[in-house]
Amino acid sequence: MLLEVKNLDAGYGYLQILRSVSLNINKGEYVCIVGPNGAGKSTTMKAIAGLISPMGGSIIFNGEEIAGLQTSQITKKGLSFVSEEMNLFVNMSVQENLYMGAYIIKDKKVQKDRLDFVFSLFPRLGERKNQLAGTMSGGERKMLAIGRGMMSDPQLLLVDEPSFGLAPQLVADVFDSLEILRNQGVTILLVEQNVTKTLAVTNRGYILENGKIGLEGKSNDLVNNPHVRKVFLGV
Amino acid sequence: MSHHYVSKFLTWLRSAAGFSIVATIVIAVVTSIVSGPYLLVNTIITGGMLALVATGLTLMLGVLNIAMFAHGEFFMIGSLTAFYVFTPISNYISENPDSFIAVIGPLIAMICAAIVGAISGIIAEKLVFGPLRKRSTDNWVMNSFLLTVGLSVLLINLHQLIFGADFKGIVGYWSGMPVSIADVFISRDRAMAFVIAAVIVGIFWFFMTYTRMGMAIRAVSQDITGAQIVGIDIEKIVLLTISLACALSAVAGGSLLFMYPSYPTVGLEPLYLAWFVVILSGLGNILGAVAGAFMVALLKVITVEYIGAGWDFVVPSALIILVLIFKPSGIFGSDVRGALDK
Repeated sequence: MLLEVKNLDAGYGYLQILRSVSLNINKGEYVCIVGPNGAGKSTTMKAIAGLISPMGGSIIFNGEEIAGLQTSQITKKGLSFVSEEMNLFVNMSVQENLYMGAYIIKDKKVQKDRLDFVFSLFPRLGERKNQLAGTMSGGERKMLAIGRGMMSDPQLLLVDEPSFGLAPQLVADVFDSLEILRNQGVTILLVEQNVTKTLAVTNRGYILENGKIGLEGKSNDLVNNPHVRKVFLGV
Repeated sequence: MSHHYVSKFLTWLRSAAGFSIVATIVIAVVTSIVSGPYLLVNTIITGGMLALVATGLTLMLGVLNIAMFAHGEFFMIGSLTAFYVFTPISNYISENPDSFIAVIGPLIAMICAAIVGAISGIIAEKLVFGPLRKRSTDNWVMNSFLLTVGLSVLLINLHQLIFGADFKGIVGYWSGMPVSIADVFISRDRAMAFVIAAVIVGIFWFFMTYTRMGMAIRAVSQDITGAQIVGIDIEKIVLLTISLACALSAVAGGSLLFMYPSYPTVGLEPLYLAWFVVILSGLGNILGAVAGAFMVALLKVITVEYIGAGWDFVVPSALIILVLIFKPSGIFGSDVRGALDK
């Protein structure tokens, strides 16, 4: 098992949002967490990535406890987080942003190989490598954020709400790029509001409601589950 | 292709940055032709040193969100260190004028100033800023600003208590005939002060633009969460930034010892001038601060020349007020995103 989250409690200050969330991901899987706004999807991701420290429970990555570690240490262990806000370095060029993504890799040659790999995944980034990240369109910035997340050659990629704020055509582009990564054998944990689309592409899913895991199972089964159909798909 | 560059240049010229840089150069050249080339020389020397202090200040603002008002005291620490290191060296030089110490002695004093500046920056972080950050980052900008003012008062009085309030100066670093450029005689110390400032600003620019650590510093100033995500250890960058910023200020103090003897409040003038630079060029904009330093230096030199020596703070202040009214983000735009101040 690559990632195992057990009875995770987390929140902001005194406000607890997650209550005993448990989930796991095997190597090579494409797993999603879906749920309504405010259910705690992003909180789960931030807790795993170490941006907020958990109030309780454990997060085991590759057999090691990572709950309570600094984000930078977690990144060094092979976990990469692509946040909803993207957190790009807006006054740096596309290429500089990507090189920063490979910050934990010291070997210049490996960095260059990773850069070439990301450019081969997203040729558009290669065409705009000298453009400032802040001047790119929304879809391109998402692509850059995902590309930057791939630069460190992670074992697990966490992607938070990649479709947020994008036009439908760009949403399709972002899903396509995740599909490319999945075909490359990258393990992905995806958080999304777009339930239909997400369950159609992932292997397994967790439904998060009010800070708790309500349902879990194969994505195909979840799509046909009466509760999911009623609450999320409106049928 | 050349047409493309021309149109690009014209667009740049119309921007605030391009216009002010070109205007500065034109004014500097015209006044030098009218009143004599020493104006240009003074501008370049003052500007070079101001650039060192201002880049340190802007670094503290951009990366740590600290409105640093104790930066002048690191200038003072630098000049004090250089004084105590150079005094024995100069005694040795007066006995052995031909030894090569006469050439590298001043450099040793300046390097010591930089090292002591960096160490005192680290001490300030460990004793003052670090504890505050760990305790709470609420109201960070205001609290850290008050802390720096307190630190400034403390260091000024410590200087007075331990070393006394007298002027501790030197006759000069390098003896020998002045250098003559285009009929202007510049003392060797002044010429070297400019060379040192230019070399340090150049190295610093290269460091910030191309090296892994320099890019990490910029990354932290632009998006602290993004920096954490890519694996940058924030604490390490904070420590590096503070020591670098304080070393830059201290080296300026050290290399200007021949002009500004060390005394408790020697740092206030460079501090205020550096703040003019930072506000003028845009908070946290590191490369903009270098250009801004030369603009403020020119303004000061011209004011002294045409209006009077007593006005050299009034005119830049008036300009800063105008900048804050009409272009609050500064000429080159601000980089500060409010890293710790959420």
